[in-house]
This record gives sequence, C-alpha cells and structure tokens, in this order.
Amino acid sequence: MQDAVRGFIALAAQVGLNFDFLTSPFELRMWLDGMTTTLVLVALTIPLSLVCGVGLAAALTSNRPWLAGPARAYVELTRNTPTLVQLMFTVLVVNMLISQALGGAQNNPLGAYFWLVAVISLHVAALHAEALRGGIEAVPAATVEAARGLGFSRLEVLRVVELPLAVRTALPAIVNNLVNLVKLTTIGYAVAVNEITYASLMIWTQRDNVVELMIVLLLFFSAINLAVARFGAAVERRLAVPGYGQ
Amino acid sequence: MAAGFCAAVALWLVLDPSLARLLLEWLPYLARGFAMNILISVLAMALGTLAGVALGAMELSQMRLVRAPAVAYVQVFRNAPHLVLIFATTYIFPFEIVALGHYIPFPDWVKAVIGLAIPASAHTAEITRGALQSIPTPQWDAAKGLGFSRIEALRFIILPQCLRRALPPWMNLTASICMGTALASLVGVHELLHAATDASTAVSRTDFTVLTYVTVLFAFFLFCYPVSRLTQRLERRLAR
Repeated sequence: MQDAVRGFIALAAQVGLNFDFLTSPFELRMWLDGMTTTLVLVALTIPLSLVCGVGLAAALTSNRPWLAGPARAYVELTRNTPTLVQLMFTVLVVNMLISQALGGAQNNPLGAYFWLVAVISLHVAALHAEALRGGIEAVPAATVEAARGLGFSRLEVLRVVELPLAVRTALPAIVNNLVNLVKLTTIGYAVAVNEITYASLMIWTQRDNVVELMIVLLLFFSAINLAVARFGAAVERRLAVPGYGQ
Repeated sequence: MAAGFCAAVALWLVLDPSLARLLLEWLPYLARGFAMNILISVLAMALGTLAGVALGAMELSQMRLVRAPAVAYVQVFRNAPHLVLIFATTYIFPFEIVALGHYIPFPDWVKAVIGLAIPASAHTAEITRGALQSIPTPQWDAAKGLGFSRIEALRFIILPQCLRRALPPWMNLTASICMGTALASLVGVHELLHAATDASTAVSRTDFTVLTYVTVLFAFFLFCYPVSRLTQRLERRLAR
C-alpha cells in the first residue's frame, strides 16, 4: 500500500502534479475523514429527504387548506431562496435564538452538523414534493374514484394507489434532485463541517496544490453522482409499468 | 401567507422604531451587496448561455473529434458542485493578468462569474441538446433538400423552434444560478450574504441580526419567485 502511494506520487510528479500530502499521516487522515463525512452526509440526507418529501407531497395534495397552504408556502420559500442563505439563517439566527432560550450555547445540543443535515434534507424534500405532486396529479381521476368506490379512505388511496404511480412518473426528477443533493453537501464548508471541500481547502492552503485537489474533487463528485444516476436508472427499470414508454 | 409575514415584520418595526432606524441605515449597504448578486448572475448566465448553446450543438456534431470533448466537458461540469467550481476559479486564476506590460486586476467577483458560468454552460448545453433532439429528423432532411447547409439549417430552421422548448428549463437554470451567487460570499466576494454578516456583526443586536437575515431571505425570494412563477406558466402553456 505504502509503495503504491509512493509510486502514484512519483507518477503524478512526472506530469507536474503535487500529491505529496498523501505521505503526511495528519493531512491524509483529515482528507479521508472529509471523504467519509461527505459520504455519510449523502447517506443520511438521501433517505431523510425522501421521507420528508413524501410527507410534504401528501400535505400539498390534501384537501385540507390548513395543511396544503403552509406546505405550499414552505415549498415556495425553500425553492426560491439559496440553500446557503437558509443554512446561515438556521445556524446564525435559529440556533442562536435556541441557545439564548436555553441559557447559553453550552446548553444547546444542536450543532452545525445537525443544521446542515436538516437544511439539506428539508430543502431537497421540497423539490421531491413538487415532483411527487406532479405525479399524484397525473394519476387518472377514474383510478382514484374506483379506489374510493372500493371503500379506501383518502390516506389509503394515497398510500396504495396514488404514491406508487406518482413515484414512477416522478423518478427522473427525483434522481435529478438527488444529484443536486450530493452537490449541496459542499455548503457544509460554510459552517466548518469537515466535508471533502473543507478538508481539501485546509490542505491546499498549506501546500498550494489547488489544481491537484480540484481534479480529485471533480472525480469524487462525478463518481458519487454517477452511482446515484445509475441506481436511479436501475430503480426506474425495475418499477417500469409495462406498456408505458417502452 | 407572504402578506401576513410582511405585516408581522412591519408591525415589529413600528413597535420598535430604533430597529427600523437601524435597518434604514443599513439598507443601502445591503442593497449594494445585492446589486453584486444581480451583476454576477446576469454575467454568468450571459456567458454560460453563449458557451452552452455552442457546446450543445457540438454534442450533436457528426464529427467525433468535435463531439467527444463537448460531451466530456458537460458530463464533468454538470456533476460538479457550484461551490467547488467557484473555489477552482478563485484559487487557480491569478489575481492579476500581465498584458503588454500592463497589470490588469482580476477581481474575485469576475472569478465567481466564471465559476458560475461553467456549470451554467454545461446545463445550457444539455438543454440545447434536448431541444435540438426534440425536432423531428425529417425537418433536417427537408432543409437539406432545399439546399441549406447543416449550419444554415440549424440557424434558420431548427434553433428558432428550439427556443420555445428550451425556455422553461433555461429559466429554471437562471433561478438556480441566481441562488448560486450567494456562494460567492464564501470566497470573499462582497455580495448580499456577506453584507448581511458585516451588518449583523457591526450592530451586534440579536433582533437586528434576525431582521437582517430575514431581509436577505426575502430579497432572494423576491428575485427568484417571479422567475419560477413565469416558468410554471410557460411550462403549462407548452404542455397543452
């Protein structure tokens, strides 16, 4: 392993790329931690965003104005403001107010990491909800009526009839949102969560090897997003309704 | 909902005149910051659109040598986080350029423009490609039959039709790039979010901090919401 790393560094040096930091255990550790943090963030926020997105979509399409109204307002606000501003707002304003209410930051159990996960999940959930709403509205009225006629309640119709069909139409948009989510994890940099961008910045300010780390960053995110897109395509194939678009 | 929110903020300002005075005092400063956001987004979209349309056409070229680089560019930069690209342009480009013995400064905000123009161009390329491919092939053949060259057919027959189909996704992209300008604050560009941090640090009053960040959210919302409403309207009209 050591030899392989040294070989790689020598090879990269020949084309003028400086990967010397790989020999420093401290920097290597921080860098690998950064990669792990990004992957953990992605693994945490994807399921969270999907669950919240389904809940929001159910609220958006419900017949109760007190449920649909706030959900609509939330979705519009979230979709039309930058995620970074939302993150700063929660960390600098909401978190501060919570700290003050609890009598000091030392009593506040919520940190930057919590708000990062919450903001990303809820932001992408709003995007999922819009995609799912489109899918739910595309379910033929006759199908819904038939289900109601069979004695299904509004919630049962949603769970058994509308959502399974909506998920299929919304899948391409949802996969797109997930690719977006992966890219959004970089804003963790702003609140000093040690994800891969933050770790890379720490290294290139020391070693002035921006181009080298940039190449790795681009490859890293390309790889994750390729995996997400591939997984999405596989799910799409598996859930495909025979006779539609084939 | 929005009206109720504005009313609540207005009531708050009326109940606490000192806060209203502070906000009034800082508002020009915040507005100058927001002007930077608008400048960056307009320039980034202009640059990104020009490059993107060319790249989209290249992606459909019959020559492999033209097609392959465009496809690779789009693949890499469509998947790259905006923040990473802004970092890339900020740290890789020099802070000044020497041309004919003159030192031309290369300010951070211009680097942010380029950093956002790169993903904008990659996305515009995909939008252009999608729109071009949505035009039935017989139209190309008909154009050829009428004696148009490939470039002429593209210019006079295909592109005008694409414009209509590409407009809604392009507007979505515009909204996304406008929101991306907030990222420029992280590389020290003096835009709205940066200005808000300055203001709240300078005043250091809890209620003013809350109000400042609410103003920031509100400013971006006012900027992006009309665009997204218009997009929805256009999409609905095209779907019919």
